[in-house]
Amino acid sequence: MIDRLFNWMDDRLAISRGGRHLLNKIFPDHWSFMLGEIALYSFIVLLLTGIFLTLYFVPSEATTIYHGSYRPLDGAHVSEAFASTVNLSFAVRGGLLVRQMHHWAANIFVGSIVVHMLRVFFTGAFRRPREVNWIIGANLLILAIFNGFLGYSLPDDLVSGTGIRIAFSILESVPIVGSYLAFFLFGGLYPGNGAIIPRFFIIHVLILPLIILGLLGAHLGLLVRHKHTQFKQPGAREDNVVGTPLWPTFMTKTLGFFFLTTGVTALLGALVQINPIWQYGQYYPWKVSYAVQPDWYMGWLDGALRVMPSWEIHFPGHMIPNAFFPGVLLPGVTFTVIMLWPFLEAKLTGENVREHHLLDRPRDRPVRTATGAAVFAFYFVLFGASSTDVLANYLSITLNTVLWSFRIAAIVVPIVVWPIAYKICKELQGTPNAGKRKVHNIVVRDADGGYRTIPAEEYPGYVGAELEPLDVEKIEVLTAAGKVVEPGVYEIPRDYR
Amino acid sequence: MRRARWFSRRLAVPAAVVIAAVSLGMLVWWPASTPSLAGTVLTASVTKSTNHKPNLNLGKTLFDETCASCHGSSAEGSAVAPSLQGLGAGTIDLWLSSGWMPLAAPGAQPARKPPKYDRAQNIDIAQYVASLSNYQGFPIPKVNLKGANVANGFSVFAEICAACHTITGAGDALSGGIIAPSLHDVSKTQIVEAVRTGPGNMPRFSSGVISNAQLSDLVAYVTRNIQHPTSPGGLGLGGVGPVAEGFVGLFIGVGLCVLAAFWIGDRTPRGPLGVEQHGDGEGGSGGDGGSPGPVGDDGGSDREIQHV
Repeated sequence: MIDRLFNWMDDRLAISRGGRHLLNKIFPDHWSFMLGEIALYSFIVLLLTGIFLTLYFVPSEATTIYHGSYRPLDGAHVSEAFASTVNLSFAVRGGLLVRQMHHWAANIFVGSIVVHMLRVFFTGAFRRPREVNWIIGANLLILAIFNGFLGYSLPDDLVSGTGIRIAFSILESVPIVGSYLAFFLFGGLYPGNGAIIPRFFIIHVLILPLIILGLLGAHLGLLVRHKHTQFKQPGAREDNVVGTPLWPTFMTKTLGFFFLTTGVTALLGALVQINPIWQYGQYYPWKVSYAVQPDWYMGWLDGALRVMPSWEIHFPGHMIPNAFFPGVLLPGVTFTVIMLWPFLEAKLTGENVREHHLLDRPRDRPVRTATGAAVFAFYFVLFGASSTDVLANYLSITLNTVLWSFRIAAIVVPIVVWPIAYKICKELQGTPNAGKRKVHNIVVRDADGGYRTIPAEEYPGYVGAELEPLDVEKIEVLTAAGKVVEPGVYEIPRDYR
Repeated sequence: MRRARWFSRRLAVPAAVVIAAVSLGMLVWWPASTPSLAGTVLTASVTKSTNHKPNLNLGKTLFDETCASCHGSSAEGSAVAPSLQGLGAGTIDLWLSSGWMPLAAPGAQPARKPPKYDRAQNIDIAQYVASLSNYQGFPIPKVNLKGANVANGFSVFAEICAACHTITGAGDALSGGIIAPSLHDVSKTQIVEAVRTGPGNMPRFSSGVISNAQLSDLVAYVTRNIQHPTSPGGLGLGGVGPVAEGFVGLFIGVGLCVLAAFWIGDRTPRGPLGVEQHGDGEGGSGGDGGSPGPVGDDGGSDREIQHV
């Protein structure tokens, strides 16, 4: 019956061949190839929880008088956006849980993109023919950061309002066009005429998610087109793909991983408070709280603003304000260099003549690894600098000392990290079995007092010795172009379409 | 690969069950939160008297014993300590009850610590010092919070106090080594004394800036909502904002996900013909030239093939 139904459909839709083809796709299996999936799945969590939130959030700056259950705000003049966010936290069943899951998922989303990007960088997966996908990924990171900032601003609370104020000033600091840009986005002088929240809302829930979805499709489409890279290992060559098929092995694993990612988000959303806006209250331009920072993915920019010395450049009739350098120039240079890196490296190493499908181990490219580590250390220092006041308070030292420490660290730490990373790479290269699981040795004493060592037997938990091969005949039939490396693991030519 | 298959078969079901259970549990257990209703409307006031009847003789004894060595026998001040005359009992009480005075050592920075004397002794000393001058200064207040309005207090707090003490009252380091202390362990009397007398670098706010009624609202907000915040949503992370949240998101959120990937994902097997023979360092030859042949042809053992 079901067979007949499927046959009927396939006669008309003709999807079985392509579908079968898709199900037979071979994915090299390595834990680090799953980091990007964290981003994908937290994005799905973001979409689902975000849809729930839009049911209750009112994107308006119109003033209303709060009369909800939170007593310290009773009778306060607040915006519709703020009031609805407090209400959805307190008065909607599960509302706070979903809101916190949304916020944590955003943190995890951007974080996993960064971790995924580091993996791609350090293993050289951005090289020809994947430069375009690298650029798409970098753009996804930019969009994720932007959208995170917009979403963080939507509740119109005291802390995020301060962030919007800073964003306005940074936008204004762009030479020549800055004030026009700022006026265009905010609909006039700060704080705008009630335009900020509605505009941010539509960008946050519609425009940027659509662009992200589109780029995500292109990102994954190119992944399918190029086939995944693989680590150097016996049997893996530039012209083949060794791994497990999409169905059933990869699919079950990735589905399990989806549940795990969602579970982590749900646990954080349920157990750890994030952004308690009712404690912050409504944002007014004349109210400000000390110790205000943005979410972590903007933290490196905030840190850069803090550690930047107060330099300005004066021209006759024009001035480049201080905020331009850390607020506009730094991210601009950062993402430009990131996007150009594949071409820069190809130029430097002269390796652009052929395609690269085998990954480097980071140690095999000490210069690239050391450079990446040093640059990452620089941004990590900037991230730390966004908490200068918190650190000064907890360590009971003066804020100025902390600030100067970060200024020095931002320059010194990358310089120190580079040679250390380089040296570690070189040392690892000279250690053939570094990172490989060791077999225990047993020291035995002879009757006449001599000592010798004998390798221990495999310990009982060693999986390779326990599992029997599974029956995979059905799938073998369907991978006509490939061949079986071992039951469940296949090899296909890389140019197989 | 075998590890991978082993996990993938066993992972999906338990993971799904755990997540479903957690999510359901949360939805059921999570009530529509109802913050406690604090503050009823009567009349609010800050009156200037205390119930304790001061014993000036005891105050003088304690002053001579502890304070006079620096501040002088009649609180006239010295080269190492300021005059206390005319400061008022409220100022003296605040500095004693907060543990700022006496200093841990001459020349040390005033630091929050358990007070040296008990409540009655503090008042004795404060009243004694106040009696040394004709100008009475700000007396020790009696704070009555009946009818205080925490909503008004929140508004005043956000406008005036949060700029240094932070909106959650966690306190923070300002520039130049100045600390805006945490408000989580201050008493009603201390708040009023601090607002009206302006200890250290804190500005002094007269009743023209913060009226007595506003002040009692403020005290009510700090002692009820700052010190006992309505805080649904789980662990509060110290009220220091997004930096702490960022660390949790990165190291616990992303960290757990990466651990999960490491758990269910495969490792790179490295047989004798693995990467090492190609890895000649920067600008190395890449991996295609001398790649091992098809699996099984490279003379590997059975175990090696199992690793692929």
